[in-house]
Amino acid sequence: MRKFFLFSFIWVATFISGYWINTSWFSDKQPAQPIAFSHRIHAGENGIPCLYCHIYAERSTAAGVPGVQKCIGCHQIIKRDAPEISKVADYWERKKPIPWIKVHNLPDFVYFSHKRHIRAGIDCNSCHGNVAGMDVITRVSSLKMGWCIDCHMSHNVKNGRDCWTCHK
Amino acid sequence: MLKRRDFLKALGLGGVGTGLGFMLGESIKTPATNLIPYVVPPEDIVPGVANWYSSLCTQCNAGCGIIVRVLEGRAKKIEGNPHHPVNQGRLCAMGQAGLQALYNPDRIKTPLIRKGSRQSEEFRAITWEEALSVLAENLMKLKIASNTEKLFLLSSVIRGHMGHLFETFMQNFGSPNYIQYDLFQHKELIFANKVSMGINILPYYDIGNTNLLLSFGADFLNTWLSPVNHSLGYGHMRQGRHGSRGRLVQIEPRLSLSGANADEWIPVRPGTEGILALGLAYTIIEEGYYKGQDINEWNKILSPYKPEMISELTNTDNERIRTLAREFASARPGLAIAGENAASYTDGVNHIIAVNILNHLADNIGKTGGVISNPEAPIKKTQSLKDIDALLRNARAGEVETLITYNTNPVFTLPHNSKIQEALENIPFVVSLSCFMDETTAHADLILPTHTSLEDWGDDITEPATGYNTATIMQPAVSPLYDSRNAGDILLSTAKRLGNRLQKNMPWDNFRDFFIESWKTIYEKQRHTYAGEPVFEDFWNKVLTQGGWWDQEKRTHQSIHFIKDNVKRFISSSPSLFQGNEDEFPFYLILYAHSGYYDGRHANLPWLQEMPDPMTSVVWGTWIEINPQTAGKMGIREGDLLLVESPYGKLHVPAYLYPGIRPDTVSIPIGQGHKTYGRYAGNRGSNPLDLLPGISRHETGTIPLNSTRVKITKSSEKGNLVKMEGITKEFDRQIVQTIPPYERRQN
Repeated sequence: MRKFFLFSFIWVATFISGYWINTSWFSDKQPAQPIAFSHRIHAGENGIPCLYCHIYAERSTAAGVPGVQKCIGCHQIIKRDAPEISKVADYWERKKPIPWIKVHNLPDFVYFSHKRHIRAGIDCNSCHGNVAGMDVITRVSSLKMGWCIDCHMSHNVKNGRDCWTCHK
Repeated sequence: MLKRRDFLKALGLGGVGTGLGFMLGESIKTPATNLIPYVVPPEDIVPGVANWYSSLCTQCNAGCGIIVRVLEGRAKKIEGNPHHPVNQGRLCAMGQAGLQALYNPDRIKTPLIRKGSRQSEEFRAITWEEALSVLAENLMKLKIASNTEKLFLLSSVIRGHMGHLFETFMQNFGSPNYIQYDLFQHKELIFANKVSMGINILPYYDIGNTNLLLSFGADFLNTWLSPVNHSLGYGHMRQGRHGSRGRLVQIEPRLSLSGANADEWIPVRPGTEGILALGLAYTIIEEGYYKGQDINEWNKILSPYKPEMISELTNTDNERIRTLAREFASARPGLAIAGENAASYTDGVNHIIAVNILNHLADNIGKTGGVISNPEAPIKKTQSLKDIDALLRNARAGEVETLITYNTNPVFTLPHNSKIQEALENIPFVVSLSCFMDETTAHADLILPTHTSLEDWGDDITEPATGYNTATIMQPAVSPLYDSRNAGDILLSTAKRLGNRLQKNMPWDNFRDFFIESWKTIYEKQRHTYAGEPVFEDFWNKVLTQGGWWDQEKRTHQSIHFIKDNVKRFISSSPSLFQGNEDEFPFYLILYAHSGYYDGRHANLPWLQEMPDPMTSVVWGTWIEINPQTAGKMGIREGDLLLVESPYGKLHVPAYLYPGIRPDTVSIPIGQGHKTYGRYAGNRGSNPLDLLPGISRHETGTIPLNSTRVKITKSSEKGNLVKMEGITKEFDRQIVQTIPPYERRQN
């Protein structure tokens, strides 16, 4: 009997630690990107505004990821020899896009518009966290429906609880 | 304490636990998706924001304007162009399905050349370079042998500049044989209007402002001429004018969608529509509604059409004819239209002319709410002097060496009995310019894939226009999906290869250059109509933005004159003749354009296959409509497979019991029964055109769809009839509230 409890305990403990290993080191909140791009250096140290690269955020549902041309525009001159930047140059020479991994991913049945949120004066950081301090971009919000609704409620958004506002 | 064995067990269990815990974490994650940026972001594309391009709908020949919603270079949705005079922002189901032509998985993706014999239908992909040199070599051979007139070019009806380019190519090559062909070409209507009113282009039937519309077999809300415009007009006639609601009387043996919207349906005997129209005309004369000088002459011409004398022939009550005539003559304006179903007899022209006479005597011609004239087209109309019959005759006689077809499918839309397939077998070299592997293209030796209309340049001069000139532009909304080309580009590069006169007279690098140059001519000619655009570039930008050029201010006020002397020889007192004798083949057969497949060209678009037919709700198949009384007598139940035989052919179709058809008539929609037309259309349903004889109206080169009689026999099998509706009986559910005619008369 004691042995059974012991085995059960071992099993449960290892199961939980397996799960914990997965979420803390293999999390999709912080996936490994093809190029180790650092928002801390760009947005933090150099103080480049978000909208300088994510140019569509004010105009469209999508914020937009900068084209390879945008990267190379600066990096033709700046730090050309750094190993990660030579990867960018490599993509540019082959005229291939960089296959970034999505960190903030909403399912197709959710309608989300960056334009609306930016125009309502919501700061990028309030959903994306302190990007200027992140070396590797990390998802800090759950992006679940409850999280959306909580914010809509606290901001008194008109039709903020209407199903059709997001599911249309 | 712990035994070695237990320790190992615990270790194993722990390993499995960790693994499963890890897997759980993995399984609740959303799978990683990539975020692919542009290498160089295009300036005119904002991801997530749609670009709308104005263009032209080519799904039927109405010439509606469309706007195409394009997101990141992909066409997502088609809507009607709100500024376009024809459809005013509306669009029909066929137009909506234009997207499925673009994204169709059965499109021809590269040039193909035949491998082996014509029967094998095996093709090999080749490059454009090879394909064009094969074509040029063949044409060069014709040139060297001075056989240039043995080149035939067969296209669909094209009213825009592409037709001019085809014409120029053929002229400079030295062949007079450019033919335009479609199943629904309205040749009878054009001919009849020319004879009776002296007009070369179709007039505008002003349904919106009429008080009483008599429709003789015109399914104007569904497929006839310009259904979207007619529907707008119909809405206006019914509800758009304060205090007056126009009436619609539909005169046809089979109740069409338009008939279902009518106040009254007169199920006239097939082939006597014109006679009924003349009976109405007679009454108008006799009862003094006509005030012209020539009343006595008309009286004499129309004397055989006294309602009492034609009542039995037309199977219509003579009192009803008289009251209808009175209502029509005093409607002011009333409007009578003769549609495809009345024109589809061997003497279809007579029926239309009879309806024109009726319009003339009730004084509806040239009046608002009647028949309104359209101005001459802003560009020269492409003259297709010959018709498809000429191609068949010449091919059989071995007078055709090379045939180029573009965007038309005569092997499907002509009856098997027209011997079109044999004719094609007799042509040594057939080239098809097409988006899809249809029946005609399957007979070709060289297949050159063309763009679909969402990838292409082009234009259309609307006919019938809405009282003023309308030219609609087609511009590429998306880049070509496959290695296809514009048909004009194909001819221009062929002209370059052939050199000499062709190259000299067709100097344009591509179709777009030719096209813009042609539009400069419209600009120069119509310059006085707009002050806003001082240079062509401004005009051109405006045209591309709004989707075309139209001039609402400039309506023609020229009146149309009825030419009495011309029409006399088209008045005959005998009903239309039918193929097959009445005893052996007891049923009249009516074939009509399906609201989704039209003449069969859209059977490869699954949205339209999926769309229930508005009258029967049948999807994905062919059916035969038969009156429940007749069916009861013959012991036919819904879905029974029937053998339909005419003197010329037979086919198996499932029965649909349809109360909206005369007991002596059966009806089958056109459009299914494709042999090779992609995965959605192939081997589905049957093609009723094969019940018909070959081309029998040689003066217009068309086939009368309704001039054949059939017999039907019940077979033991059950057909495959898929329909949306449950039960057609009312069972006092008050879904449709009706009163019998005698009660109405009492009130």
